[in-house]
Amino acid sequence: MRFLVFLGSRILTFLMVVWIGITTAFFVPRFAPSNPVEAVLARLDSQKSFQPEQIQAMRESLMELFGLKGTLLQQYGSFLKRVLVSGDFGPSLTVYPTPVSTLVARALPWSLGLLFCSTIIAWVLGNSIGLIAGYWKDRTISRILEGTAILLYPIPYYILALALIILFAYVFPIFPFSFSAQGQPFEWAFIKSVIRGSFLPALSMVTVGLGWWVISMKALASNIMEEEYVYFARLKGVSDGGIMRGYVLRNALLPQVTMLALQLGGMFSGALLTEYLFGYPGVGTLIAQAVLGSDYNMILGTISFSIIAVAGATLIIDLAYPFLDPRIRYR
Amino acid sequence: MKAKRFNQFLTALAVIMILSMLLSACTPATKTNPESDPTAPKQEQSTGKARMTEQGTPRNETLIVDALDGRITNPKQFNPYIPGTAYSEGFHQVCMANLYEIDGTKGDMIPIIAAKPAEALNADFTKWKITLRSGLAWSDGQEFSAEDVAWTLTMLSTNKDLPAYGFWNPLIKSAKATDKVTVEIEMNKPYPRIETLVGDQIFDSPFHVLAKHIWSKENPATFAAATPTCIGPYKLKDVDANGMWTLWEKRADWQKAAYGASMGEPKPKYILFKFYGPEEKRVLAGAAHDLDVFMDITPDSWDVLRKKNEYAKAWFDQFPYANMDDPCERGISFNTSKAPFDKLEVRWALALATDIQSVSMATFGGKMRFSPIQVPPLSGLQPLYHFALEDWLKNLQLADGYKPFDGEHSAKLVKSLAGEKGLPTDPKAQKELFGVGWWKHDPNQAAKLLQSVGFKKGSDGKWLTPDGKPWKITINAPANFEVQSGRLAFAVADSWKKFGIDATAQAMEGGPFWTAEGNGDFEAGSYWPGCGVQPDVYNQVQGWHKKYVVPTGQTAPGNRQRYKSDRISNLIDQLSPLKPTDPKIVPLVNELNKAFVEEMPWIPMFGTSKFVPTDTYYWTGFPNSKDPYFGPWWWWSNFPFILHKLQPTGKM
Amino acid sequence: MKRKHNSRLLAGFALVSLFALLGFVVPFFSPEDPRVWNTVPRNLPASAAHLLGTTSLGQDTFWFLTWAIRNSLIIGLITAVLATVIGLVVGLTAGFRGGTIDRVLTLLMDSFIVIPSLPILILLASLMKGRASIILVAGVLVIFNWPWPARQARASALSLRERDFVHTAWFSGESPLKITMRELLPFISSWALGNLINTVLVAVATEGALAVIGVSNQAQATLGTMIFWAMQHQALLAERWLWIGSPVVAIMLLFIGLFLTQTGLSQYSATKRGR
Repeated sequence: MRFLVFLGSRILTFLMVVWIGITTAFFVPRFAPSNPVEAVLARLDSQKSFQPEQIQAMRESLMELFGLKGTLLQQYGSFLKRVLVSGDFGPSLTVYPTPVSTLVARALPWSLGLLFCSTIIAWVLGNSIGLIAGYWKDRTISRILEGTAILLYPIPYYILALALIILFAYVFPIFPFSFSAQGQPFEWAFIKSVIRGSFLPALSMVTVGLGWWVISMKALASNIMEEEYVYFARLKGVSDGGIMRGYVLRNALLPQVTMLALQLGGMFSGALLTEYLFGYPGVGTLIAQAVLGSDYNMILGTISFSIIAVAGATLIIDLAYPFLDPRIRYR
Repeated sequence: MKAKRFNQFLTALAVIMILSMLLSACTPATKTNPESDPTAPKQEQSTGKARMTEQGTPRNETLIVDALDGRITNPKQFNPYIPGTAYSEGFHQVCMANLYEIDGTKGDMIPIIAAKPAEALNADFTKWKITLRSGLAWSDGQEFSAEDVAWTLTMLSTNKDLPAYGFWNPLIKSAKATDKVTVEIEMNKPYPRIETLVGDQIFDSPFHVLAKHIWSKENPATFAAATPTCIGPYKLKDVDANGMWTLWEKRADWQKAAYGASMGEPKPKYILFKFYGPEEKRVLAGAAHDLDVFMDITPDSWDVLRKKNEYAKAWFDQFPYANMDDPCERGISFNTSKAPFDKLEVRWALALATDIQSVSMATFGGKMRFSPIQVPPLSGLQPLYHFALEDWLKNLQLADGYKPFDGEHSAKLVKSLAGEKGLPTDPKAQKELFGVGWWKHDPNQAAKLLQSVGFKKGSDGKWLTPDGKPWKITINAPANFEVQSGRLAFAVADSWKKFGIDATAQAMEGGPFWTAEGNGDFEAGSYWPGCGVQPDVYNQVQGWHKKYVVPTGQTAPGNRQRYKSDRISNLIDQLSPLKPTDPKIVPLVNELNKAFVEEMPWIPMFGTSKFVPTDTYYWTGFPNSKDPYFGPWWWWSNFPFILHKLQPTGKM
Repeated sequence: MKRKHNSRLLAGFALVSLFALLGFVVPFFSPEDPRVWNTVPRNLPASAAHLLGTTSLGQDTFWFLTWAIRNSLIIGLITAVLATVIGLVVGLTAGFRGGTIDRVLTLLMDSFIVIPSLPILILLASLMKGRASIILVAGVLVIFNWPWPARQARASALSLRERDFVHTAWFSGESPLKITMRELLPFISSWALGNLINTVLVAVATEGALAVIGVSNQAQATLGTMIFWAMQHQALLAERWLWIGSPVVAIMLLFIGLFLTQTGLSQYSATKRGR
């Protein structure tokens, strides 16, 4: 019974967080000093082929077209109605009149695919390495593993990614310069080109992500190793693997799973730098473009997914806590 | 026990990693890349097998061009009249064409789809007759006729849903095709410069002919046109679903296409516009012979590229490498309605406080051309304007008799670049290359000017405004585009800081950068309000008219510097009714130039230097300083000017 | 045994002190403001006069680096301390107290996590007009960084809450605040310290990323802006290793130093506790 009450209130929190997030995403861009009409006109004007009167005339018609007339509250109301009723975020204002949903639907699967794989791989690898490093923390191997992690982790991502490109696409031309999917979806040629093109971006993300998991897991593991129950298990004669799995891992899991869930939720914002550097067609570029072009509809269309995903991840984690750590009880 | 477990784990890990690398590496590559020393230029391939592009075309029949617009958000959109359509990934270069095109080197308008210059049918330039070429056809085989032109003009001025309606409707009264090759246009007001309306002067024309047989069946305000119907010599072959590249193929009937009909056969069978991402990757692609034509890169990238690729060529073979004839010039502009920039003395003081030599070195390492007047220092315009005014500039005096002009700047620059080979030693040649001169760097005179309007120097050597507050200036700078203006802002801020002003540059992304200028929400910025390509600069300078001034906070339709000058507005009015070839134009523009110098509403500093190199490994025949048949504006609509001049090298 | 711990702690401490020296003492001796362009000839190699050579902008690399270290350290420390403190207080309170307080604080935490940072950063950038002081940049970073330690603190608090020693303290009448501080904190401290150090790194890295957008002040010297200007001038491809390498190596060494100090400290305290 208590759990049901908790569940109910937790879901309520979820809905409130989503609502706050989406409302913020609605209002904040409108308070920014640029608006989508100006962005479009600015791009046109910088090419210096339009006269002042042309620009002025276009301003009027664009404002009509983009639906920016009416008070903010009116616009907010019609936006809510449209989204809740038909899930339609409207046309993109930078690529008018392509619907936002079309663009997002095209980009999202790429981001999810790449980010899901790299996050999971980094998590599993990182935690395994960290676990080993923490378990045998006085051994040389631990120091090597930890040393590698702390060397890799602080390298700025931009530089690491560029170094990978220079090494593996230029000096040793094993991988393509830019991501390019060939053939139709799900033919073998397509799958092959996707794997080949995604290897470097995935590698860069795993390398950078790995460091944090190794370091944090090692810290957690070595702390747990000092617990009395571990000492007791050793005395009892439980094998190393058994201790690692049953005692250390289970206790260290909670914060690591929390972070994992949050990172997975963050998949929906794409990875702007990765996409830019590797030419990967993800959703991060869409978001950046939308923000810089003040494309209100696209901002909402892309960020709403991200908000729901992250909030959903925290919800799931909260609900899963008691299963992960039976000592947790809800009041 | 422990060791064994651990070893197993390590081995498993190692095996997985090696396997996955092998897996990807072993997939048969679609191109054969020679392995070589990365620092030496790439070797020629002698495999005998033709290298193919990833898109499946032979590399030596494909011209690969850098993509200016980056990744295209919606690659299945080829409607020129709705926002978001990418122009510079081949669409407006090789698929669309204009009635008239500018010949940047000579300044003439060349008829492309039209057959000859437009003929005015009455004395006040309201009725025009344009004769088109005969025998042109669209890429789907349908005949091209004056009907298409007339229909498009009528549609533009009557379709209320188009963003451009507000512009075309007041202009066009009627457009009709009197026969297959003749269009008669009636305007609502006198319009002597019809050729720049239906043709291109800088970058592109606002007018693009649509195929009536396709578009009359659709709503032009919403039709996306996923497959464009082209009048230019190429048609769309393939486009990347993710917007990274666009592939165009030469039309089999290229003689019936624009450019093909008048200039001859374009040589590349395929043209691929590809986006590589950040500048580093574009340079690497160029070094690996995967990119033939570059859009703007920084001089540092050019240095890297020319060392890694001996076939890479810029406009000049030696210093200064860059082409300096881009139709806009750079400098610092102000919101002149904001104090203290409303005072002539303040603006002149800032000009004299600028150490232009070190600004030139800091911005682009000296590879720029000085320009003291508001017309860009193009090779074709310098004789008419910059050099024609040289004596006047030398004798120019400010209010107290001070002579601000220094004609020795180019000589000084050449001297400080003593290490570079091939620089001219003759003073006239030096001025032609690096500019006629600029203002003296005279902090004392600048101080005098400032003090005459109430500025004081504080005890710490920093300047205080007339109300006693420390003088702070923020210069808006473009963040990740137009590198020259971006760096210029920082270099100038640096120079003014040394003079004692708390000046700083703020890098801004495109949207906020332009909006700030439009709203007047800035005090200084490295914007570029001085452009021109023909001697008739009316189109570019008319934005300075005082009628466009609106208060700060409102978006300005023109005159974003909010500068009210009766003298300048008067001269603009005098230019307005003249035909572009009228002999009165040059002297009038020189009067304008004098007004701009004396009033100094903005501080022009340098012409634009563009590093837009080409790789001559697969293709030769690009324009350069020795053969300047075209300016290297690869992103303009007159790109096909080079296509019939290119030659394949035949390398595999 | 003792030897090993001390060497780790010593090494870490030495590195951190080196950076503190480089960042807070050495800059006072710089001959002039190293941010100013064209004070020295460009692109010189390392020499006695210029320890790390000069940049493409005509600055002395070594002196610029010292200023950059100082400013980055300031940003990193302020951000990390504030974010971790705020995060810990909020998170521990939420986790331990539960009920409505937990719900409200979680709502706050989640809203901050969920709200996208990019549009807000751009808005802030245009408002600050390129005059962001180091403190302001740190402030912005705190806003976006405090929810993470808070969430994890809450998770740990939830789990620790049920432990026996906590129950003992609770039943013996200790106030919740005292319980939080006295009983829970030591458990979290090593992890919290780890988080603090990580936040320093995140702050330094994010500041670099912000430098590109324009929120950070590009006219200031920080490790982030140093990398930014070096990349702008193609230092990587042009193989100007000193200019691009020194801030990257500095970031790495800074992190390693902090990390070794932190783990050395926890090992030291572990020995003290008799393990």
